[in-house]
Amino acid sequence: MDFTFTADEQAFAAEVRRFLRDRPPSTFAIDGMDAGYGSGANSKAFIRALAERGWIRMCWPRAFGGDERPMFFKLVLLEELARAGAPFGPLPGIWQTADAIIEYGSERLRTEVLPAIARGEASFWQGYSEPDAGSDLLALKTEARRDGDDYVIRGHKIWSSHAGIATHGLIFTRTSREARRSRGFSMFVVPNGTRGMDIRPITSLTGEVYHYEVFLDEVRVPEGLRFGPEGEGFVALLNGLDSDRFWGRFYKAPALERVLHRLVEYANTTRVDGVPLARDAGLRRRLAAMATELAALRWLFYRAACQFRDGAPITYETAVAKVMADETGQKLARLGMDLLGMWAPLRAGSPEAKLDGEISHAYLTSLGHTIAGGTAEVLRTTVATRGLGLPAGAR
Amino acid sequence: MIDFRPSSAQQLLVSTAREYLRRHCPIEPDRRAGLDVIQLWRGMAELGWPGLLISSGVGGSDGTLVDVILLVEELGYAAVPGPFVPSAVAATSLLLAGGARQQRRLTELATGDRIATVALVEERGSFDPAGLTLTAASGRLTGRKLFVGAADLADDLVVVLRDGVVVLPSDRRGIARVPLQAIGGDPLFEVRFDDVEIGADDRLAVTAGAVAAALEAGALARTAEMVGAARRILEMSVEHAKTRVQGGRPIGGHQAIQHACADLVRDVDTARGLLYAAACDASDVAAAKAYASEACLTVARRAHQIFGAISYCAEHPLHMIHKRILAASLDFGDTTLHLERVARAIGLEA
Ligand SMILES: Cc1cc2nc3c(=O)[nH]c(=O)nc-3n(C[C@H](O)[C@H](O)[C@H](O)COP(=O)(O)OP(=O)(O)OC[C@H]3O[C@@H](n4cnc5c(N)ncnc54)[C@H](O)[C@@H]3O)c2cc1C
Repeated sequence: MDFTFTADEQAFAAEVRRFLRDRPPSTFAIDGMDAGYGSGANSKAFIRALAERGWIRMCWPRAFGGDERPMFFKLVLLEELARAGAPFGPLPGIWQTADAIIEYGSERLRTEVLPAIARGEASFWQGYSEPDAGSDLLALKTEARRDGDDYVIRGHKIWSSHAGIATHGLIFTRTSREARRSRGFSMFVVPNGTRGMDIRPITSLTGEVYHYEVFLDEVRVPEGLRFGPEGEGFVALLNGLDSDRFWGRFYKAPALERVLHRLVEYANTTRVDGVPLARDAGLRRRLAAMATELAALRWLFYRAACQFRDGAPITYETAVAKVMADETGQKLARLGMDLLGMWAPLRAGSPEAKLDGEISHAYLTSLGHTIAGGTAEVLRTTVATRGLGLPAGAR
Repeated sequence: MIDFRPSSAQQLLVSTAREYLRRHCPIEPDRRAGLDVIQLWRGMAELGWPGLLISSGVGGSDGTLVDVILLVEELGYAAVPGPFVPSAVAATSLLLAGGARQQRRLTELATGDRIATVALVEERGSFDPAGLTLTAASGRLTGRKLFVGAADLADDLVVVLRDGVVVLPSDRRGIARVPLQAIGGDPLFEVRFDDVEIGADDRLAVTAGAVAAALEAGALARTAEMVGAARRILEMSVEHAKTRVQGGRPIGGHQAIQHACADLVRDVDTARGLLYAAACDASDVAAAKAYASEACLTVARRAHQIFGAISYCAEHPLHMIHKRILAASLDFGDTTLHLERVARAIGLEA
């Protein structure tokens, strides 16, 4: 049992902190809304800056242009970026796509898309959900029909986060009419701007654009942009979802710790009738209890990380961790709103706004986290059936 | 390198404990009725457990605090009664800080032939040594200590005072041990001191830091006990959800029960991870104990709901384990005390 970071990991953390001092996150141009997960806003310039340091490809095999650094370097990087509130939005998704390409991507994906990822020039939207296929993803209707060396995709995707500002879509389709629970689905990596792809913004509850709806009308895609063998996209997807839960939430604990520190600062410096809010016994207790939950959350993710690293089987661990991350985030946002009182609803840029309006934004965006990437209900069922072996009930 | 896995020696300790306690400390209340706490203690002593924190030179078994935590997790899993935490963890930690004069006592503690306990809490009901009032400066001690565990079994009372620590034989003239009646857990006592004579030899030369460290070791051990108990409850609940049939199918097929079980997993896994981090100095003990208290009590209450009426009756083990978690959550610092420590640690101005 050991809870210390290796000397290499510590040195890397220091290197990342130096980078963040030299290139303050607030100086990068922002392209898309901060969805509140803890990875900040979407900034292409920031992703390119990470790429310049070689940090996007650092854990890839040398044969693919990587430096073969241990997986924990990614954790170190994510923690440091999250603590600094940096705008690294699409980074986890970029890493996952790269890993999938390395594992089972075609020659074309490896030679065209992978180098663009390493340069920080590619990012991906997930085209999974459809109007009638949410939790029941396999009810999807989007179809990819074989036509010579190509596929022709027809369908309608929705809730695709940041699709309008990404470079490629990961589009999940059925490639067989008989597609049932697990076979007959295929995933494609489709460049934005491909003929027949119509990407339309959806205004979100914050007033900004985050989601897009994507209409696919006879979109022609070469076979080389298919992920893995035809009909086996579901396996790719499942692996993707498992690691999505991990990589899409790992940085949440440090990000929430950053928010908690801001709240502590606020409680120390805000006086009511001459007494700092920090002296309020009830508030102290809630903030302290939240700190314990965030510490517990962080180690929960590290335990899953060790399982990934050691090749131990994962059945429920990422699902539990994701649900806890999202529910704890909602709880912290509620606590923050309570602390700010009458000022709580003020948005960024408003006169009188406290903490840059960050808390009201977090409050709203956190509502989506227990829905996105598998709802909290569906994931609890996963924990119970896949993790504990309880009987699968009526679905 | 971050690693949650116990070493192979630690795994052996854990599996030995699991097997020994399965045979000698049944969980079912009816089978437990005849359990002899002292006999169980002797068996544990033969395995070297009370001496884990003590070096082999003095007759101990050369363990580490992490070993102790893993063992106490098993004691919690088996809901083991007795003086282990007060004697082998808290009192032993304090006596270890007391220098060469304590060696003989430590040797006897290591073999389990001697039992010690720590008496600290006063009228304020707090484990914070800062607020203590009792003193033996005059060479006499008068007053009382509350919520003292294992006082009936203890040969030595390690009494923490406002201005120092004294070690007294529990049968010294003027000392009375009055049992309190709690809803469960190990027996607790009020210890009364009526003009008790305190000699120079009774004084334990330890710093305030050593007292704090011993209390922290006790708090960590109680956290481990809660985590082990909550793991047992999780296992029992899942087993029940698979086997209890209503309406023609196991209740575990209902999402309401599935989701309750998923929440047990979350609470157990998080409390356990934080415990290990704290045992390895990577998180505050205060945070680990405050978190585990809330999480493990929630596990116990939710389990009652999963079990239904059967868990309301005395014959069922759940309430007994639940009460032990409750007792552990208070011993060596309750949630209020530990959350205030966390509040300061995160920078909230006092
Ligand atoms: C912030 C955000 C970002 C997203 N980003 C993307 C993206 O980038 N790409 C993409 O493809 N999709 C994305 N989504 C869509 C997301 O994957 C779906 O919203 C999700 O799968 C749930 O589907 P639904 O919204 O249709 O809800 P429904 O499936 O209709 O569920 C509604 C309610 O019913 C419950 N429910 C449904 N089925 C069950 C069941 N079997 N057992 C118990 N309860 C059940 C749900 O838990 C939920 O409470 C995003 C969503 C959000 C909120």
